[in-house]
Amino acid sequence: MPNKQTPKSQWGISYGELVWREFVKNRLSVIAGMFIIFLFIVAIFAPFIANDKPYVVEIEGQRYFPLFRHLGAIDYGVLLAGVVAVVQLILIRRNKKRVDPSERGEVLLKQIMISAGVIVVGLVLLYLFVPRRLDATNYHAMVESGRAENAVFAPIPYGYARTNLSVREQPPSRRHLLGTDDVGSDVLARLIHGSRISLSVGFVAVGISVVIGVVIGAVLGYFGGRVDFVGMRFIEIMMAIPQFFLIITVVAFFPRSLLNIMIIIGITSWTMDARFIRAEFFKLREQDFVQAAHAQGIGLRSILFRHMLPNGVAPVLVNATFGIAGAIFIEAALSFLGFGVAPPTPSWGQMLSLGVTTTGRFLWWLSVFPGLAIFFTVLAYNLVGEGLRDAIDPKLRKAA
Amino acid sequence: MKENTAKTTNGYLLSVDRLRTYFPVKRGLLRRTVGHIKAVDDISFAIEPGKTLGLVGESGCGKTTAARTIVRLVPATSGKISFEGVDVLAAKGQQLKGLRRDISIIFQDPYGSLNPRMTIGNIVGEAIKVHKGIRGSELIDRIDMLLEKVGLGGSYRNRYPHEFSGGQRQRIGVARALALDPKLVICDEPVSALDVSIQSQILNLLKDLQGEFGLTYLFIAHDLAVVEFFCDEVAVMYLGHIVEKACAEELYRNPLHPYTRTLMSAIPQVELKRRQQRIGLVGEVPSPSNVPAGCPFHPRCSLCDERCMQESPALNEVSKGDGHFVSCWKQDEFSD
Repeated sequence: MPNKQTPKSQWGISYGELVWREFVKNRLSVIAGMFIIFLFIVAIFAPFIANDKPYVVEIEGQRYFPLFRHLGAIDYGVLLAGVVAVVQLILIRRNKKRVDPSERGEVLLKQIMISAGVIVVGLVLLYLFVPRRLDATNYHAMVESGRAENAVFAPIPYGYARTNLSVREQPPSRRHLLGTDDVGSDVLARLIHGSRISLSVGFVAVGISVVIGVVIGAVLGYFGGRVDFVGMRFIEIMMAIPQFFLIITVVAFFPRSLLNIMIIIGITSWTMDARFIRAEFFKLREQDFVQAAHAQGIGLRSILFRHMLPNGVAPVLVNATFGIAGAIFIEAALSFLGFGVAPPTPSWGQMLSLGVTTTGRFLWWLSVFPGLAIFFTVLAYNLVGEGLRDAIDPKLRKAA
Repeated sequence: MKENTAKTTNGYLLSVDRLRTYFPVKRGLLRRTVGHIKAVDDISFAIEPGKTLGLVGESGCGKTTAARTIVRLVPATSGKISFEGVDVLAAKGQQLKGLRRDISIIFQDPYGSLNPRMTIGNIVGEAIKVHKGIRGSELIDRIDMLLEKVGLGGSYRNRYPHEFSGGQRQRIGVARALALDPKLVICDEPVSALDVSIQSQILNLLKDLQGEFGLTYLFIAHDLAVVEFFCDEVAVMYLGHIVEKACAEELYRNPLHPYTRTLMSAIPQVELKRRQQRIGLVGEVPSPSNVPAGCPFHPRCSLCDERCMQESPALNEVSKGDGHFVSCWKQDEFSD
């Protein structure tokens, strides 16, 4: 036993750190992980990267900030969530060094609760006080005509909903790096805004399916017997239904909103998670430490979710990363078929479907770029999932 | 910690009466019960407060099942267990919670019995938090105190189980068992997974703690040398039955059941004059799902005759009042 304690070893190495160390050994996964982080940054700052409103503009001697006034509650909300996430990460790192591990869980929970509270309150306030202003002013035209001056535009000076029929269906050029679509919107601007849809669909849908899957799987795996028998038949029925057709059917009945799509993907894809957790719980419930918790009279909920779940959650986490990729894929496919979010909200799948015009012409830039975006995002999630799986697998660790 | 003031039934802290624990064997699509594994079949014993009862027998003889039935981890089929006058098998709610506090268990495998995702402090302190509502620095003080009692420093509180050796882990298991000031500690082969050199450390620790807190032990083992050192009274189990029960000294001096004699002959002896002919056993232990008729030991017993194959002997006291019980038709052939 190391008795001389260096500051690092003072708290010992937790399982999370072990997995992390193993994970970072896999270069490809790390690169994929960085790509996903990059995508998140792009999604969070999308309105600041691609927007047809200038940050600052002077009109008749007066200074305006059209971009900031134009942003809606959702935009600010996402920004807020991003800030909170970064603060959380910093706090978790700090806690690792300062907080007694026996208290860590509670401290972390408290922080998450506070952050969630901040986000909720922030969103409500934003909804009340920051209505989205419809600003149809064409600042580019104003600048050109000389009415406005000293305008500072975003790096990509086009909004995702900007239509300009004079530049429709243009191939990539200096002005429009990835070309324009059938109504003259900039493809790059729409691609950047579209990342918000893809990423949020992935996370929320998988979040829903993991919660459902874990709860059902935990109950089946723990109680076993008749409960398990009935539950498993139900899961098999769910699995027998082709998921995509179910989703299309349901989407046809409900309004085309992003939230509906997320929920539908979430409640149709939990079966794998439930089966993983069930299998793990079957194994875990006979283990001595679970029996010890029983013998000490610790509550069932605590045994299920504090003792057993942390020991059985690894396969679900891995599955979740693949699930995110799958959800992004489903959303893209739905949008491609026209069941996705309604235009002008951009989505990668929907952009893809515009590649072939009604007149039958094939606009390659409209298919290739969104296609590549989907491809790389899904690939990145799969690589991260694979890296995570290898890092968690103890058999591989021993061999290494 | 307070001294144990035991309310007892007939002077016993724990008494187990005709306990049976069967596991149903289910087959087929409809999960019909086709038979039972008779893990524990009609055993009775009792422990006085502050004393240690040893339960010995080979693997699969039902020792661990008996222990788990007493702590209510496994449901009993029939019988009665009473602890301080409380009916253990019928306890519910607050009563059961009280039993969980008063009876604790130390597990055999120090690797499987500690949650790998929890710190030592959490493992030891969780029950204190749940049962006594103690939190914060007071909880930490108690955890440190417990860890020091079992010979680990409080500084280990924040570490994870995988950072410890087997012996250290077993000490943590002991600390956890003591967390709620129990009256009865069930030690389910606490040293059989450890190196011999570590075994004695843990045994001495358990002895010291017994003296300090006035604990009562139900000590399960398959190593007779360990039991001789540790126990006041010893019960020998074979195939779910208790075949012989006596105070430790008497049992080692004068084993009466052929099975006990076989076990005794297997203890390695250093002194030449104590060495005796080793009695070999033929055959395997029968499956507890298909216990032989008559004496459960008869297929392997060298003294077996007609009666042994047909009638099951009861556990009888050899001579009135000496506390030596044996369940054998041939007991007289060994008495000195």
